Amino acid sequence: MPIENPFQDPLRFERRVPECAVVIFGANGDLTKRKLLPALYRLAYDRRLSAGFAVVGISRTPMSDEAFREKMLEAIKQFSEDTTFDADVWNAFAAGLFYVAGDIGDAALYENLAGRLAEIETVRHTGGNVLFYLSTQPSQYARAAQGLGGAGLGKGSGWRRLVVEKPFGHDLASARELSDRLHESFDESEVYRIDHYLGKETVQNILAFRFGNGIFEPLWNRRYVNHVQITGAESIGVEGRGAYYQEAGALDDMIQNHLLQVMATIAMEPSATFRAASVRDERSKLLRSIRPMTPAEVRQNTVAGQYGPASIGGEDVPGFRQETGVDPQSQTNTYAAVTLFVDNWRWAGVPFYLRTGKRLAKRVTEISIQFNPAPLHIFDQDGGESAPNLLIVRIQPEEGISLKFLSKRPGSGMMLRPVSMDFNYGSSFGERSPSAYETLLLDAIIGDATLYTRQDMVEASWGVVEPIQNEWRETKADFPNYPAGSWGPAAAGAMLARRGHVWRKP
Amino acid sequence: MGASVAPEQILKELAALWVDSGKQGQAEGGTGVLRACSMTLLVLAEAREDTQSLGETIAGLMPEHPARTILVRLSGAGDRSLAERVYSQCWMPFGQRRQICCEQVEITASDAALADLQSVVLPLTVPDLPLIVWCRSARLAQMPEFRQIAEMARKVVVDSVAATDPAAMLRRAQDMAEHGVMLGDLAWTSLTRWREMLAQVFENQGNASQLPHIQSAAVEWGGSRFAPAVYLGAWIRDSLAAVDVHASLNISRTPDGDFLRVRLTGDEFAAELVREDDRMVVTLNGASQCTNLPQPTDYLLMREELGIVRHDPVFERTLASAARLAHPIEP
Repeated sequence: MPIENPFQDPLRFERRVPECAVVIFGANGDLTKRKLLPALYRLAYDRRLSAGFAVVGISRTPMSDEAFREKMLEAIKQFSEDTTFDADVWNAFAAGLFYVAGDIGDAALYENLAGRLAEIETVRHTGGNVLFYLSTQPSQYARAAQGLGGAGLGKGSGWRRLVVEKPFGHDLASARELSDRLHESFDESEVYRIDHYLGKETVQNILAFRFGNGIFEPLWNRRYVNHVQITGAESIGVEGRGAYYQEAGALDDMIQNHLLQVMATIAMEPSATFRAASVRDERSKLLRSIRPMTPAEVRQNTVAGQYGPASIGGEDVPGFRQETGVDPQSQTNTYAAVTLFVDNWRWAGVPFYLRTGKRLAKRVTEISIQFNPAPLHIFDQDGGESAPNLLIVRIQPEEGISLKFLSKRPGSGMMLRPVSMDFNYGSSFGERSPSAYETLLLDAIIGDATLYTRQDMVEASWGVVEPIQNEWRETKADFPNYPAGSWGPAAAGAMLARRGHVWRKP
Repeated sequence: MGASVAPEQILKELAALWVDSGKQGQAEGGTGVLRACSMTLLVLAEAREDTQSLGETIAGLMPEHPARTILVRLSGAGDRSLAERVYSQCWMPFGQRRQICCEQVEITASDAALADLQSVVLPLTVPDLPLIVWCRSARLAQMPEFRQIAEMARKVVVDSVAATDPAAMLRRAQDMAEHGVMLGDLAWTSLTRWREMLAQVFENQGNASQLPHIQSAAVEWGGSRFAPAVYLGAWIRDSLAAVDVHASLNISRTPDGDFLRVRLTGDEFAAELVREDDRMVVTLNGASQCTNLPQPTDYLLMREELGIVRHDPVFERTLASAARLAHPIEP
């Protein structure tokens, strides 16, 4: 039973990292250098790390602790976007950085790691708490978990947790198999599946917006909402990751995880409490309520796309098939649009349009909720403009919420025009927003799984996506079908037009 | 009687200001201005105070706590006079095309006109949003008129460090709190990082197990640190008492300049926190650790206080104890 700390003051004190060791598999990789170490350094800079904190990097390259520290110093200097480098903070932080070399498939690595963790616990007083972070190839996840379990590292004197990056399998069967393998060494409650979208401030703000205010929830249903559009658009191409992307595609890479999680957040039922289990239960319930499609419905309600070459702003950009490492006949989707329906009383009949793609017109992630029009258009005969009421939740790049409605144009006569009421997250709260990885790492170390994905949620997502995968695999697509720099294939527009809707151009 | 101000005229000037800002924003090729407001901030300062420095502090607070600011400059003795001017504070968020603007009203008031202040301020407050009073004038905080001003506010922020008689200020603050005024004291706010570091020591279960064996707490202070020292002592004593640990408390003055040090001692346990320039040194059983702790500025302290527009039970409990403690150990 932990002893109560009488000096805590949650109203004023920042959440802080308790004593623990964070073990990163794939310490030489891009994610570690670009995201994980800068996020941990920022927590140190903000004085949120306890004295008993340590990081153990693991990868195959032999390296001393000192060399690892040097490497991480370079990474932090290069990739800490909005954090001033402070030599004293770094020196204190670096004293807790350690390195173990080894192969994930080799049992000797885990024996070495166990010995090193015991030493570190003596020196740094980490309390026996360990967070294992798998920042490796997905094919290594099961082996790493088994290695940890085999060496007895899955249990210890303190808590043990395992953070896994997406993808969580490549279909329903492989997702189940992965979970089974992880569960051989870690309980489900100890497995933290990270979806960095859920760590973004605005995604969390959806919960505050919906459940902290009384005025929106009564409108949040089939009676008032006409349809919902969720867009995750990227303006860049595959950026040298062609070989990887060829195996994944937009549907698996974005819709199966990020966009379905965002949809679950926007459409879930109110949670009884803000405890992790309660919020995740509601998200999971929503995902399970999404109607799986028959092959005929897949043909009607989904569109796959692949970008072709184009000239953007005077610069020639290659098509996907011309990217390095990509098969010139590739059938990989770089664009995916789907129409989903939620079979529950709140949302029955309301289309949820999800689209994502590479090399689209601009980088934007947003949710647009279009409300039903006024039942009677009394201003139409006076030349008034009609435009739907839209509630737009922008996730990136300019986080915020906008409400579009009609207003009388100043002057004589009743002329209407659409106006926008904007809440801009950055300017309304000038405080720096923590990065998604800062939020999620802190949550995992504290043991708050609210923003992490649970096994049943992963399986429910694959349950939605798998019928689409199967149908697309059976059909030879006529790719490329959209030029780079556009808003995607014409067929995606036609998919909405069948229900009298049009894609918003953010 | 000297000059006077008409709140309705000020409101008209504010409305005109928005029209002008909007036109200017559009003329400059932007998309107009966005008005942002989350509270009315009433700042009470002596007229002799450096206008530029105070203006910069208020401007710094606006992006995070956008407010209609009413700055009352106290001109001291003289005729019963009030004067005003209205302007806006705008900034362009990085990478965006639209300016964000907040309104500012500056009122100059003589002591004789303080009784009229409520009738001017009340119509100027933004409806449905909290009014926060930031009293920077130690002199005003001790005046009887201050009670009337405080009663308008959702929250009143004072600074006991600036008071000529900090012990009296603590007692007066406690008296206001007992009469239902929600208070903040920057002398207390300046201790947040100290308290956080001390709390962090006891997050370690080994150290937490030493709590019942703590026998004494000592706070040393120098210069103007009397009020923070009393708060710190009161907080430590109350926190320990909450887990049934009744340690002795000694608060003593040192001849050094602005200085604060806290020590907790038990049979086999000693923890010390002391500031050295921009560093906090935490020494635990002889082993020291140094962390970054910049000197708190008014901007940083007010930023924290404006973020807490609700009852703060830890502060309220500590203020009551500090007011009692301050009496026998007057500076």
